Amino acid sequence: MSISRREFLKASALTAAAAAIGVEPLLNSKTLAAAAQEGVIWHKSVCRLCGAGCGVMLGVKDGKPFGVRGDKENTINAGILCVKAFYLHKMITAKNRLLYPMVRKDGKLVRASWDEAMNLVASRFKEILEKHGPDALAYYGSGQAQTEETYLANRLFKGFIGTNNVEGNPRLCMASAVGGYISSFGADEPIGTYDDIEHCELFLLVGTNTAEAHPVLYDRIVSRKKKHPSTKIVIIDPRKTPTNRIADLHLQVKPGYDLAIMHAIARILIKEGFTDEQFIKDSVVFSDGKDPISYDDYKTFLEKYTPEYAAEQAGINPSEIVQAARIFGQSPTAMTMWTMGVNQRVAGVFLNNLIHNIHLLTGKLGKPGSDSFSLTGQPNACGGVREGGGLCHLLPGHRSVENEQHRKEIAEIWMTTPEKIQPKPGKHTIAMFEGVANGDIKGLFVLCTNPAQSLPNLNKYLKGMSDVFLVITESFHPTETSKIADVVLPVAFWGEKEGVYGCSERRSQHLAKALKPMGEALWDGDVLIDLAKRMGYGAYFEHFKTPEDVWNEYLKTTKGKGLDLTGAPYERLKKVRGLRWPVPNVNHPGTGHRFTEGDPLFPKDKAGSRRMYFYAKPEGKAVIFARPDKGPEEPTSADYPIALTTGRILEQWHTMTMTGQVPELVRANPNPYVEINPDDAKAWGISSRDKVKLTTKRGSLTVEAKVIDRPRKGTIFLPWHWPESLTNILTIDAVDPGSKEPEYKVAACKVEKA
Amino acid sequence: MKKTPYLITSLIFVSLLAAGFVTNSGNNSTQQLPPKDKHPEVDWSIGCAECHEEMTPKVFQEWNESRHGQVNFGCYICHGDGQEVFYKKGKDEGCLGCHAAQEVNYKQLKVKSCFDCHNGHTLKFHNENK
Repeated sequence: MSISRREFLKASALTAAAAAIGVEPLLNSKTLAAAAQEGVIWHKSVCRLCGAGCGVMLGVKDGKPFGVRGDKENTINAGILCVKAFYLHKMITAKNRLLYPMVRKDGKLVRASWDEAMNLVASRFKEILEKHGPDALAYYGSGQAQTEETYLANRLFKGFIGTNNVEGNPRLCMASAVGGYISSFGADEPIGTYDDIEHCELFLLVGTNTAEAHPVLYDRIVSRKKKHPSTKIVIIDPRKTPTNRIADLHLQVKPGYDLAIMHAIARILIKEGFTDEQFIKDSVVFSDGKDPISYDDYKTFLEKYTPEYAAEQAGINPSEIVQAARIFGQSPTAMTMWTMGVNQRVAGVFLNNLIHNIHLLTGKLGKPGSDSFSLTGQPNACGGVREGGGLCHLLPGHRSVENEQHRKEIAEIWMTTPEKIQPKPGKHTIAMFEGVANGDIKGLFVLCTNPAQSLPNLNKYLKGMSDVFLVITESFHPTETSKIADVVLPVAFWGEKEGVYGCSERRSQHLAKALKPMGEALWDGDVLIDLAKRMGYGAYFEHFKTPEDVWNEYLKTTKGKGLDLTGAPYERLKKVRGLRWPVPNVNHPGTGHRFTEGDPLFPKDKAGSRRMYFYAKPEGKAVIFARPDKGPEEPTSADYPIALTTGRILEQWHTMTMTGQVPELVRANPNPYVEINPDDAKAWGISSRDKVKLTTKRGSLTVEAKVIDRPRKGTIFLPWHWPESLTNILTIDAVDPGSKEPEYKVAACKVEKA
Repeated sequence: MKKTPYLITSLIFVSLLAAGFVTNSGNNSTQQLPPKDKHPEVDWSIGCAECHEEMTPKVFQEWNESRHGQVNFGCYICHGDGQEVFYKKGKDEGCLGCHAAQEVNYKQLKVKSCFDCHNGHTLKFHNENK
């Protein structure tokens, strides 16, 4: 074969590019392949950051991470990555990877063998169990853990140790969405899917900075608006964010005072004839939260919520509410999306209900382009914790510990006795850490999360966390939690283990193991199985040889349930880009809209001519709630006149254990800061880069000011990522009475020049 | 922030940008930093976009109005963090981290680089707006 130099160069460039993206070389001659690209194997995986569920291909060469690229076959992201996912491969080999077990001796963490570390954990846990009973132990997991990991932990703690003190960080971010979905529709998780985005003509974004928190979904919304410029974007949020770039209307509300707006919108929808009366008649009932009420009662309830009243509550113009309501009413389709701005509130469940209300009133549900869609913050909060039952009141497969039949069903699968599973819910997250603080809980196992930075009102809990026998499995060290732990166990990171994640749209996806874990790290599941064996439960765990064994047992818990995943074994998940439940058999394609005719659980005989049948509710009818317009737990006052709200930035994720290791991401915003409205800054004599002291009733923090027209006047915004500047010293740990989710989004604060 | 020396060095830097798209740290961890690529010493406590908005407003504006700017695909994606990693010119592997689906067009166009067609920070085709 003879080729010219010019042809060689051209072919080399093309071949290198082809190899880099994991496709067959453009020319057949392998001799032209660039040496650096040869031997790269691309593995199908899913991003381990937010809850969008983007497909990521991880390239491995010579047993080491080579790079990442978006998975173009995955319909969630179609090959696109956000800036954080762009660096996932760098996180695998980050300098702060934890490579060996450590135990605390004489106050210091020192290297130990796995055997020594696990013997210590098992012996201390057994000692606590014998002396103080099962409820002196607790497990605190993560929406980043794989379903198999959460399933094993749930099984061990609830089914064998015998405590329902099993929680996870989704309590801090998604519990209110769960409460909203269950109370309004009868079942957790959205009715529709991301596919609705491409059919939607109005996006109502409430308490979500989609551009920064869910960048790839934002990209899809941008694309939708670009292709169909008539698509409207309406935002309800206390802050202007990068999402505002595509907004048609922004209701910039006072933090914590938006419930009345949703009622006012509902009132206008009814008064101006935008409701779907047939849908209401067929598929909706009304409730005041305690008792059933009539449609007329509901209308009477709404009379209080004039645009003027709601606008006064929220500190906006009444015409903005009227405009928003009319846009919603006139739009043929509508998706409301929300995140922490709705959920992390003492009225989080109520606000979820009120969002569902306007979709139920207008019938904008269960059809292409319309849904009431909660965006999840973590990659497996839905899959592992919500579906897997990794909270103190739940059992796998959307079951409850309080239900005797549910306990029997799960006990049989778990090979334990129903009596071993307590019928009373354990301690929810805040109660659990109160138990840690007051000594009721004496041994705590933390998996893949960092509560010493992420809990609200941190000063209240940190000492207790230092005093308790604290065990943590982590891929990184130090974190704020690993620094105070008694035993730190190194575990495999993304790409080093296989498992399943379930994202915001009910889609379960398989993540391949592409690499050997670094150092002495093990799969979290093996650590839990080892702990079970050392505590004397080996006979009930030794059949789990692989993550697939765990998944197969988990699938049994979903059979016949609303989240049926029977048709999603590993063999199938490895081939496809996820499946959206219910997927009751291996030939089923998965479900688009639940509670409609396309849903395999849709009872056609009962539904008759009804378009939607909410089969998890009596008579198949969803509930419109007349909830009070509850404000924040801690309104501003003379002493604390400023509203503090917290949140995220694009380039960082949670407590920075991963993204904080990537220099490029750190470059975007190198230091902690607080956003201050220019009018406030002028009044307070503060300029950008001045140091300011922020004080709430719970503590003080000094941080750099960024004067910027983003938060509304009288509100400051404090990102929570930086471990050297613990935002959660300031936040309040008051919780929603239903969901037990804390109100991270609103606290009363004062600001002084430091 | 020491803006005077920065202004001089940034002018040099801007001239380097004139050739088109600068950069990429990319999706490939094996890329090496060419020795001549060095970002001017600046106040590193300021974020890249924040500083460039003031110091190189035209470049910032071009990026900000581009599709990458719209979805906040920041400077660092292509240029690196400036300290540990800095790239003056983009490498296609970085683009292909997201735009793998564009490979077919790339082949058909018979060009060597994404940047043979896509212009600087605007990312538009060269012949657009002319």
